[in-house]
Amino acid sequence: MISNPYKKGLQVVLVFLFVFTNTSVLAKAERYGEVSLENRFFVEQGLFGQGKNHSSFTLSPEFYFESEDQKTSFTFKPKIRRDSTDDERNLFDIQDLSLVRVKDSYETRIGIRRDFWGVTETVHRVDIINQTDQVESFDGEDKLGQPMINLSVEREWGILDLYALVGFRERTFAGEKGRLRLPFSIDTDSAFYESSSENLRTDFAIRWSQSYRNVELAFSHFSGTSREPELKTGLNDNLNFRVPYYAIIDQTGLEVLYIVGELAFKLEAISRSGQGGRFSAATTGFEYTKVGILDSRLDLGWIIELNHDDRYENSPLALGTRLTLNDLYDSQILSGVIWNEETGETNVFVEASRRVRNCCRLSFESVYFNEGSNSNTAQKMFEYFKQDDFARFEFIYFLGN
Amino acid sequence: MSADEFNRGLEIALKADNSFSGYGDSKTNLKMLLKDRKGLITERVMKMKLLEVPEDGDKSLIVFDSPRDVRGVAVLSHAHKTGSDEQWLYLPALKRVKRVASKNRTGPFLGSEFSLEDLSFQEVEKFSYEYLRDEVLEGKEFDVIKRIPLDPYSGYTKQIVWVSKMDPLIHQIHHYDRKSFHFKTQIFRGYKKYLNKFWRPNEIHMINHQTNKTTTLFFEDMAFNTGLSEKDFTQNSLKRSK
Repeated sequence: MISNPYKKGLQVVLVFLFVFTNTSVLAKAERYGEVSLENRFFVEQGLFGQGKNHSSFTLSPEFYFESEDQKTSFTFKPKIRRDSTDDERNLFDIQDLSLVRVKDSYETRIGIRRDFWGVTETVHRVDIINQTDQVESFDGEDKLGQPMINLSVEREWGILDLYALVGFRERTFAGEKGRLRLPFSIDTDSAFYESSSENLRTDFAIRWSQSYRNVELAFSHFSGTSREPELKTGLNDNLNFRVPYYAIIDQTGLEVLYIVGELAFKLEAISRSGQGGRFSAATTGFEYTKVGILDSRLDLGWIIELNHDDRYENSPLALGTRLTLNDLYDSQILSGVIWNEETGETNVFVEASRRVRNCCRLSFESVYFNEGSNSNTAQKMFEYFKQDDFARFEFIYFLGN
Repeated sequence: MSADEFNRGLEIALKADNSFSGYGDSKTNLKMLLKDRKGLITERVMKMKLLEVPEDGDKSLIVFDSPRDVRGVAVLSHAHKTGSDEQWLYLPALKRVKRVASKNRTGPFLGSEFSLEDLSFQEVEKFSYEYLRDEVLEGKEFDVIKRIPLDPYSGYTKQIVWVSKMDPLIHQIHHYDRKSFHFKTQIFRGYKKYLNKFWRPNEIHMINHQTNKTTTLFFEDMAFNTGLSEKDFTQNSLKRSK
């Protein structure tokens, strides 16, 4: 699974680490990270005969070094994942391998990094710097490290981030034995690109963001290879095989967050060209948190988000609640439903987690797909996941110093 | 309340505030010991940076060290003398900076009896005052004043504050919740004068009378005038905080 450039890179890193840890210029050298064991239990066999029980192991240690004046820091965080059944879920990724230097209001960040853009909770439309590690989790919030040079300027007029994104990371897809997969095999090894430099193209992005008393505002533009591939049939037109095609796109994004008391109104919108005709998509909604419900320590948060995407007929609505117990174990329960009026589908999810001792965390996640009874012709969102209801347990041990 | 009681209350509050002011900036390690009803103790460790902004409100950056699952999570707050404070949360796992509504400052902080509101700087302008009485407590003389938070998103309806007559320092606060029930008592201990200018306690106890739980906050390795500036309390510095 480890590709050659990565092997080379790793050697360089190990030498670098050795030198770093042996110099006294560094005021701080810390190690942390996590080890996790996960088991996903699916209620039924898959639509394509995949098994019911899938477990995986993930190791992601993190090394952090900081200079005495705290102006220079270096982070290295690899991530290794092994899956019991699905080879496509095996991963070796460098999440972070970067050097950050601060000078006055300028910050240069060079290396492999992750960066998040956005304000909404259920769908992240604007976020585009990193590729999604789609097989890691159902919520799509896990990302792959992206090589980049990022210059950030922070002034009274806001933060301006300029990015040169060097090279491209492909999206991960579940393999034939994997669950939550599409009804065809995806040949990721044959992925093809609009760019003649294929996955070595340098993409560019810019984002301006500013905070006001009650408002957070950001505009961004990305020009480069789309993180979201189109799945094309191969040369022989065999419908059971698809190949990811990564087009060059231009995407402009807007993020707005407006706070009124306990309420946060959110909007993320994009306009993208390069994949067929120009289209727009938006997610908007609000988050409301009631602190100390019924005179208790408990906080109850509500999230409502409405989605629109020109490419699809349906506009799914997401409704979620987050119950925070504020106990010693940081126990919390997030539950919700994604409802699609056009297709009649509902997708129900529950995520609960709590701390175990000082070192660990235990989490439970469960997702149910209900195809609904509508007999209309609208393309269903989760048509191929209807037998993929699952419960997932994860135990995470956090590595200490 | 008479204008006289108001003015006297305000005067005492200003004096108490003055004995806290003039620190410029500070770096402190915080240790919290959380004691439950049965006496079981849990520890929390974090780092705090503060910047004094006399013309508006102070800025703070708190980074969690332990428990390990929240290591690297950080909270940036910009207090304002008038209106609601601003607050951002950094989630290192997602590399996400999230703006949070200021009401969120009023709930239990890391499962403790403190709220983020208790940990933030209490600007004089954020309350209205009333002088209540003189009182002798443990052989010391105190001015007892009442203050009412002007921020509608405060977690308290009123606070009764004991200010020592000798050195104008706050020694005890009774916190009243939305139902005007005295539910928490905050006690300050181990005051020391730093740089010949301002005072700081080295322990703050918070006793919750509803749950019988207590949290003690210890300030360790306090350093002042460390050269921090506005630049260390921005969103970019929040993302860098470790």
